[in-house]
Amino acid sequence: MEAEPGTDESIRCAFQSHIDSLNNAPEWWKAFKRDAFESYLKAPVPQKSDENWRFANRKGLDLSHCDFNSDPNDLDTQSLIDKSRLTTSQSGAFAFADNQTILSESASAALLEKGVIWCTLSEAIMNHEDLLKDYFMKQAVDLGSKKYADLHSAFVANGVLLYVPKGVEVDAPFYAYNWAVSKEASVFPHTLVIAEEHSRVHLVETHLSSSDQPSLSCGVTHLFAGVGANVDYTLIQGYNEETLGFQINSNIAGKDSQVDMNSVVLGCKRYRAETHGQIKGPGAHIDMRSLALTDAGQEIDQRTLQTHSAPHATSNILFKNALKEQSKTIFSGLIKVDESAQQTDAYQTNRNLLLDSNAEANSLPGLEIEANDVKCSHGATTSEIQDDEIFYMRARGIPKDAAQELIVYGFFEEILGRIEDESLANYSRKLIQAKFRGESV
Amino acid sequence: MTTAATQIDIDRDKGDFKYEESHKYDAGIGLTEKTIDYICDVKGENDWIRDFRKRALKVFESKELPTHWATKDLENIDFNKIRYYLAGDKRAKKSWDDVPDEVKETFERLGIPENERKFLAGVEAQFDSEAAYSNIKEAVAKDGVIFMGSTEGLMEHPEIFKKWFGKVIPTGDNKFSALNSAVFSGGSFIYVPPGVKVSHPLQAYFRINAENFGQFERTLIIADEGSEVTYMEGCTAPKFDTATLHSAVVELVAMPGAKIEYITVQNWSSNVFNLVTKRAIAHENAVVKWIDCNIGSRLTMKYPGVVLKGRKARGEVMSIALANEGQHQDTGAKMIHAADETTSNVISKSISVGKGRSTYRGQVRMPKHLKGCKNNTECDALLINSDSRTDTYPAITVRGDKNYVQHEASVSKVSAEQIFYMQQRGLSEAEAMSLSVNGFVNDLTRQFPMEYSVELKRLIELEMEGSVG
Amino acid sequence: MSASLEIKNLNVSIGDKRIIKDSSLTVPKGEVHAIMGPNGTGKSTLAKALAGHPDYEVTSGDALIDGESILELEVDERSRNGLFLAFQYPMEIPGVSIANFIRAAKNARLPDGEELNAPAFYKELYEKMDMLKIDRKFTSRSVNEGFSGGEKKRCEILQMAMLDPNYAILDETDSGLDIDALKVVSDGVNALRGPGLGALVITHYQRLLEYIVPDRVHVMYDGRIVKSGEKELALELESKGYDWIKEIAGNAA
Repeated sequence: MEAEPGTDESIRCAFQSHIDSLNNAPEWWKAFKRDAFESYLKAPVPQKSDENWRFANRKGLDLSHCDFNSDPNDLDTQSLIDKSRLTTSQSGAFAFADNQTILSESASAALLEKGVIWCTLSEAIMNHEDLLKDYFMKQAVDLGSKKYADLHSAFVANGVLLYVPKGVEVDAPFYAYNWAVSKEASVFPHTLVIAEEHSRVHLVETHLSSSDQPSLSCGVTHLFAGVGANVDYTLIQGYNEETLGFQINSNIAGKDSQVDMNSVVLGCKRYRAETHGQIKGPGAHIDMRSLALTDAGQEIDQRTLQTHSAPHATSNILFKNALKEQSKTIFSGLIKVDESAQQTDAYQTNRNLLLDSNAEANSLPGLEIEANDVKCSHGATTSEIQDDEIFYMRARGIPKDAAQELIVYGFFEEILGRIEDESLANYSRKLIQAKFRGESV
Repeated sequence: MTTAATQIDIDRDKGDFKYEESHKYDAGIGLTEKTIDYICDVKGENDWIRDFRKRALKVFESKELPTHWATKDLENIDFNKIRYYLAGDKRAKKSWDDVPDEVKETFERLGIPENERKFLAGVEAQFDSEAAYSNIKEAVAKDGVIFMGSTEGLMEHPEIFKKWFGKVIPTGDNKFSALNSAVFSGGSFIYVPPGVKVSHPLQAYFRINAENFGQFERTLIIADEGSEVTYMEGCTAPKFDTATLHSAVVELVAMPGAKIEYITVQNWSSNVFNLVTKRAIAHENAVVKWIDCNIGSRLTMKYPGVVLKGRKARGEVMSIALANEGQHQDTGAKMIHAADETTSNVISKSISVGKGRSTYRGQVRMPKHLKGCKNNTECDALLINSDSRTDTYPAITVRGDKNYVQHEASVSKVSAEQIFYMQQRGLSEAEAMSLSVNGFVNDLTRQFPMEYSVELKRLIELEMEGSVG
Repeated sequence: MSASLEIKNLNVSIGDKRIIKDSSLTVPKGEVHAIMGPNGTGKSTLAKALAGHPDYEVTSGDALIDGESILELEVDERSRNGLFLAFQYPMEIPGVSIANFIRAAKNARLPDGEELNAPAFYKELYEKMDMLKIDRKFTSRSVNEGFSGGEKKRCEILQMAMLDPNYAILDETDSGLDIDALKVVSDGVNALRGPGLGALVITHYQRLLEYIVPDRVHVMYDGRIVKSGEKELALELESKGYDWIKEIAGNAA
C-alpha cells in the first residue's frame, strides 16, 4: 500500500489550527473550508491508471512533511519588499511572504472611484462576500488535480481579488508577489480577476522563494473576462528547486473577450501546472503561452485544455520547453470542440529543445472535435539544436557554449516578445539567463 | 453553404449474406477451461499449447477492460454469450473443388478464387474458426516459402513457430491478446527463407458466417534475412442484430534486411467488435510497413506497432479510417525505437461521417541511450457532417542524442466551395463529396497495390452515398 | 612570414568520399582570388573545410593563415583569427536578432570581461546597413528568418563588414541574386577591399566577376585546381565552357 499523504493526524491538527486561526471569518467561509478539507482527504492520490497523470512521476507527491501553518518569524520583510518592485509603473501591488501580507499598495483613488476593487483575499472575505460566492473556486478541476485544488481551498488564507467594472480600462499592471520563505512552508497563492464588460486589465503574478529551503506551493488563479473584456496575465514561477508546486488556472472568456496568458516556468523540483482555457462566448479569443527551462532533477508537468463551447471563437496555445541535464518535461494539451462550436479556430503547438541526452520530453497533444466546420491543428516537435546552426554561429567566432545559449534565448523570444511589459520581459530574460548559467539573480 | 446531416444506411451489400450453419465442431456458448479442452482436443494439440491457452485464460480473466482510456462501448460485449469455436472441418482444403459448396460459394461471391488466379502467390480462406481453403502457388513453395494455417504451422514447423510465437506480443500485453492466446484458431503462418523475395502477395480472407460468434485468428509471419513478402488480408461478415467479436493477434518478425508489407482492408459489418493486436519486430536494416484500412465494424481498436530493434530499421504505418454513423474507428500506431538510427513514419487519415467517430492514438518512444532516431507523424481528420467527431491522442517520449520527432495533426471539413465548384461542373453533391473524400486519401492510396486502392475507392464511394442531403 | 591564406596539398573527405584532392592555393592579403568550376566539383567543400566544419575531414595537407596552420583550431577560433565564411545557404536562427547576433560575435573577440560600447556599435551597424541598402528595421529581425535569398546574402556581407576579417571566403554569394541585389552585394564587397583583406570568391558564373574583379582566377575540377591565371581566364572559361576544363583536367591527370 502506498502511504496516503496527508491522512495522518498531523494534517487534521494542522487544519484544525488553521480554522481556529480564522476566528473573525464568517461561518460560510469556514464551512466551505471544512467541506474542501473532507473532500481532499477522501480523494485518492493520483493513480497509475489515471490518464491525466500519464508519464508523471507519482512519487514525490508526499505532503506529510509540509508545515501547513508556518508562521514566519525572523522574516526579513524589508528585503522581500525591496525585491517586490519589478516596475515603477503599476496600478497596485501586494506582496505575501508565507501567505502573510507584507506589502500593500492600493489602487489609485481614480480607479477606486470607478469601482475597481483591488484587495487581499482576507479582506475580500470580510467585505466582498457576494463576489466570492459567485466566483471563488467555482471552476471544475478537470485535468487531474481536484485533490490539490481542495487542499488549496482548505488552507488558502490570502491572495488577491481584482474586480474591474464595466468599461473601465486600466493601463498599468497590477502585481501580486508571492514568496515562499520558511523551511517546509506551504503557500497557497490565490488570484481572482473579474473583468466586466468591455473592461481592460493586466495582472502580473510572481511565485518566488527567498531561500533554498524546501516548500510547497499550491496556487489557484481564475481569470474571468466578461463581454468584450481584455485580460492580460503573466505568471513568473521562479521558486527554488527544492519546491513542490501545483498551479491550477482557469481562463474563462466571454463573448468577444480576449484573455492572454504568459507563463515563465523555471523553478520547483516538481511542478504540476494545469490550465483550462474556456471559450464561453462567440468571438472570444484565448492565447496561452508558456516557456520552461529545466535542469538537473526537475520535472515540469504541464497540462492544458482548450474547451470551445461557443462558435466563431479562437484559441491558441504555444508551450516551449528547453531541457538541460537530466530533467523531464510533460506537455499534455487537449483541444475540445463541442458540437455547437462551429467556426472554431484552435491551435496548439509544443516545441521541446533537448540540450542533453539525459533530458526527457513527453508530449501528449490531443484533439477531441465534435463540430465539423472548424480549423484545428496541433503540432509537437522534439529535437536538439541543429549542428549547422551551431556551426554557423561558431563560424562567426562565437564559442560553442555562447552559441547554444543564444539559440536557447532565441527559442524563448517567441514567448518573451509577447509579454507587453518590457521591464517584466527583461526581468524574465534575466532569470532565464541566470538559470542557464547556474548563477543567482 | 452548409452540408446537412442525413440518415445513412450502411451499405455493406457485398458481405451481407449468410448461409445456414452446419458446424461439425462447436465448443458451445461461453468460455471456460472446458472450452479450451474442446478446442485442443479437436485440433489434437500438444500439452504445451493446452497449458499456454489455459494460462492465457487466467490472464484474460484477471485483466480489467481498458475503459479508463478506451470507450465504454467495450462493456457491451457479453463474453458469456459468445461461441468461441465453430468449424465445419478442421483441415483446410488445397483445392476449391474440395471445399463444401456453401463455403465455396461464399468466397466466390467475395471474389477470392478469381483474385487468386489473377495476382496472388497464395490464398488462405478462413470460414468462422478454421481455414476452409489454403494453397500456395507451386513456384513459391519451391523457394521454401511456408504458408499455412497457424495450427498446422505449430504442428509441422515447431522449431520456427515456437521461437517467435507470443514473443512479439506476449499473452498479457492486453486483455484481448490474452483472450486470443486462450482460444486462437486459424490465421496464417508464413516463413520466408533468407534472400527469397515473394513477388506476388499472399492473401488471407477472414469470413464470419455464424451469429454470436467470436473469431480469434492468430498470424505469425517471419521474413528471414534479406527476404521480402507482402501479405494482404480482407474480411467480411453478415450483419446480425447481436454483437460479433473479432479479436486477432498478428506477430511479424523481420530479420536483418528483410521487408514485410502487411495490408488490411477491414470491412466487417457494423455489429462487429474488432479488437486486434498487431505488432512487428524489425531487426537491423529491416523495413516493416503496415497499411491499414478500416471501413467496417462497430468498434475497431487497433494500433499496429513496430519495435525497431536493429540499427537502421524502419517502421511505417499508413492508415485510413472511415467512421460512419454508429461506428467508432479507434486506430493508431506505436513506434518503439530500440536501436540507433531507426526511423519511423506514421500517416493517418480519418473520415467521420454522420455521428461516426474516428480516434487516433499514437505512441512514439525514444529512450535515453539511442542516437540519430527520427519519427514523423501526420494525422489528418476530415469531418463530413456537423455532428461528426474526431479525436487525436498521441503520446511522445523522447530522450537520447540527435533524435528528432515531429507530430502534426489537423482537422478539416470538405470545403463547401469545392463541392459547389464540382456541382457546377455537373456532379451530384454525393459524387462531389465522394470525389473530395477520395482526394483526401489519395496520396495514401496511391501507395497501395492497385487492386486494393481500387477496392478501397469503391468502398469509400459506397460509404459516402447518402452522406449528404 | 607571408601575410596570406595558404592551402598546401590539401585533401578533404566526407565520410569515405575524397572530395578535395591535393589542392594548393595562396591568397595574399590585399588580393581577391576567384575559384570557378562546375557544380559538385568541391568548391563549397573547400570553403566549409577551411572554416572547420566537423563533417569535412582534412586527411592530409595544410591550411595556413599568415604562416600558421589553422587545422587544429576550432571553428570559432578560426573565425576569431580573422577568417570569415559567407555561407552559400545561411542558417536561420529564430528569436536571435541580427543586432544581438553580431554583438555576440564582436563580444567574443574582446578580452574576457570587456563589453562592446553599445552606441558605437549601433552607429557602425547602421552605417554598414545603409551601405548595403539594408532597412534598419532588420536589426530587430531574427537572423535570416523569413529573409529572401537576396536579403540573406546582404546579411552575410553585413556580418563580414562588421567583423572586419583578414581573410574572407565568399561561397556562391551570387547564387539566387537578381542583378540589382548582385550589384549591392558586390559594391559591399568592393568597399571592403583593400590592403587588409584577402578574399576568395567562389562562383559558378563569370557574371559575379564583372562586379568583383579578381586579381587571379583558379579553376577547380573534380577536387583539383586544374588551371590558374589572370582575370581573363574567367572570360575564356565563359566562352569555352566547362568541357574545355574537362579536357585540361583529362590531360593533367
